[in-house]
Amino acid sequence: MTTYVYGIAARSHPALPKDMGGVGTPARPVRVLQEGELAAIVSDAPEDLRPKRKDLLAHQNVLSEAGAGGAVLPMRFGSVAPDDAAVTGVLAERAEHYLERLQALDGKVEYNVKASHDQEAVLHRVMSDNPELRALVESNRQAGGGSYEDKLRLGEMVAGAVQAREGEDAAVLRQALETAAAAESVGPESTGWLANLSFLVDREKAEEFLAAVERVREGNPHLDVRVNGPLPPYSFVEPAPSEPAEARA
Amino acid sequence: MTVVPAQQTGGGGGSSGLYDVLELVLDRGLVIDAFVRVSLVGIEILKIDVRVVVASVDTYLRFAEACNRLDLESGPRKSPGLPDIVGEITESGARGKSKGALSGAAQTISDAFQQARGEGQSESRPRARKATARKREDEE
Repeated sequence: MTTYVYGIAARSHPALPKDMGGVGTPARPVRVLQEGELAAIVSDAPEDLRPKRKDLLAHQNVLSEAGAGGAVLPMRFGSVAPDDAAVTGVLAERAEHYLERLQALDGKVEYNVKASHDQEAVLHRVMSDNPELRALVESNRQAGGGSYEDKLRLGEMVAGAVQAREGEDAAVLRQALETAAAAESVGPESTGWLANLSFLVDREKAEEFLAAVERVREGNPHLDVRVNGPLPPYSFVEPAPSEPAEARA
Repeated sequence: MTVVPAQQTGGGGGSSGLYDVLELVLDRGLVIDAFVRVSLVGIEILKIDVRVVVASVDTYLRFAEACNRLDLESGPRKSPGLPDIVGEITESGARGKSKGALSGAAQTISDAFQQARGEGQSESRPRARKATARKREDEE
């Protein structure tokens, strides 16, 4: 029977989850393996494990529960060891490293912030910043929408302007929030957002951080800012938290 | 009994907030080389960079179209995103303010996204090969 690993914690962690439902259908019960000063949160691994929504959520829920009681190093989804002994073997072998990480992350949580543009608002913004674009729109409009080439030219300019704005806004967001955080980690770029930033925040300073987010929202009505947290410190388990995720791969 | 700490979810909220978290679960976190990781077929598509897609004819035409319908007179003087402007621009209202020409900027990838989400739930696996190949490279 292979062993699914959710995360690593100190053996002294006061409230490791036991008997809660983990991954799989039916949900495999969560267990704790101990080795020296460390503990691993595990369950049996289902044979047909795949990144299904239900299983991803189970992984996240187990780690949220564990993280609420003390520091945990969250595993990336889908880590499977050949058996329990392989897990405790790794804990023994790398104890020093994991204990150091647990200490560094003690009392801290991750907040993930993603921002995207409110579409109409950013188009207005780009237009008001750029008289040339406005003139082009106007002349296209008077020409009944303009020729194919006209549209293409306009669209290309607008796309460029919006992209530039994305970069500027990402920088604004980052500058506004990094001062309220202990560390930050830049996540992968994708279609859904112009900024994907994770911040490591002292539990006790969480309110301060959220207030900073609120100020960004108020000052930038063309930005849609989404905050998720407190989360287990997924983005900060490696020794160099400022390094972008891509560079670690 | 599961007690999940209260989560602060702003903006889109609901399923998009949930999806934002799943991205972290899949893409971050500790990886131990002595352990095997399950195949993330269909999920790696998350990492595709929007910038490649933005520079397309289709995108330009969508932007031009959106600008054409933009109310230039009312826009710059008013606070952006007011309801009357939204009413004019919103294409279908199906997904509210976050949908339209900008997301059209990368509609193709968006669709792939949706599909990846679907695959995550349904276990069907088109698009699998490329993603798997990339994943293997990542792990090596």
